Amino acid sequence: MLRTALIAVILLAFNAEASARPVSYAGGWTLIEDTDRQSTTALIHYSPSASYSFGLRTEWDRGADLIFVGPQATWLAKRWFGPDHQANLYFWGAAGLVTDIGLNPRGDRSGVQAGMMTDWETRRLFLSYRASARDFGKFDQSAMQAARVGFAPYEGDTGELHTWLMLEVDHRPDGDTPIGVTPILRLFYGSALFEAGWNVTDDAPLLNFQYRF
Amino acid sequence: MFRPLFIPALLAISATSFAQVSPTETTTDQVDHSKMDHSKMDHGSAYMPDDHANHDHTDVTPTMDTRDENALISVDQPEIMRAIAAGGEPIVATVLGAVCDFCAKAMNKTFGKRKDVAAVYVDLDKKTLNLVLKPGAEMSDDDLRKYVKKSGYKVDAIARGPAVFAR
Repeated sequence: MLRTALIAVILLAFNAEASARPVSYAGGWTLIEDTDRQSTTALIHYSPSASYSFGLRTEWDRGADLIFVGPQATWLAKRWFGPDHQANLYFWGAAGLVTDIGLNPRGDRSGVQAGMMTDWETRRLFLSYRASARDFGKFDQSAMQAARVGFAPYEGDTGELHTWLMLEVDHRPDGDTPIGVTPILRLFYGSALFEAGWNVTDDAPLLNFQYRF
Repeated sequence: MFRPLFIPALLAISATSFAQVSPTETTTDQVDHSKMDHSKMDHGSAYMPDDHANHDHTDVTPTMDTRDENALISVDQPEIMRAIAAGGEPIVATVLGAVCDFCAKAMNKTFGKRKDVAAVYVDLDKKTLNLVLKPGAEMSDDDLRKYVKKSGYKVDAIARGPAVFAR
């Protein structure tokens, strides 16, 4: 019990997935934490170039009582540029150890995950779509997808607080509530990004954080 | 490369302003400016666009009153203006895809750790990367494009020297 609680605290403190800008500049480190209605994920990664990042992913699936730990690679396959916009296409994959932390633990086994994400944004508008699937063998095999739209009420300049109002709709076919709707407040300040939202269909919080260094 | 061209230009501007004083007004306490040897004088940065360069800016924070805020370069950034006043070459690159603070952070980090860069600032409003090189340092357009690409972005256009003060 104590071990589970400790793992949970570490994950909550350090969490992350591959949401906004999962690849940094060459030589940059990024700490990402994502908590949604299903899981809490932490990722710390290093980008040897602006096209790749490599890091360690830990994920706690709260519903399935599973913890995944393993290395993750993320590839920025394409970035489209314009004077007023940017669009990206990312792919990522992770392989590691899955541990059952339920009341009747089934032990450990290997597992793999993979996903993609694409986004388009200006300083006032944001659109994204992401999808991922995982194969944890007998523990779990599932997929999800999510789309997000965002609007910035003002254009923040460099170093100022950037504020976004967003709405995410996610689809988890294997879940008790397959469709989730989450209004989100995104705040960008310098090297840090913070998102807070509430899933109104599943009554669960969304808390995401990113820091670049 | 602009210094040889602009020092004579600054001298010409200075000479013109002094020439507005009639020779008959010259007193024994005044020095005939046209006969002075300017070659050993510090006239400030050759990259300043006008007589303003003749001031010593090293301990001065420039204000919006003295600069055109519509200029290509971000004149409201004291570090940038101080580095220009210290004699560094200013470069402004228009960057594609710079839409958020993470973009600014990437370029600030990439250029900020370079020893040939005295000051760097990414202006999201103008979509520009402002650089001032250290005095005597050089950075080719190709290198600049390469470093911006390393940050994850793309250069659209580059302006250097006095051209960065143009609108």
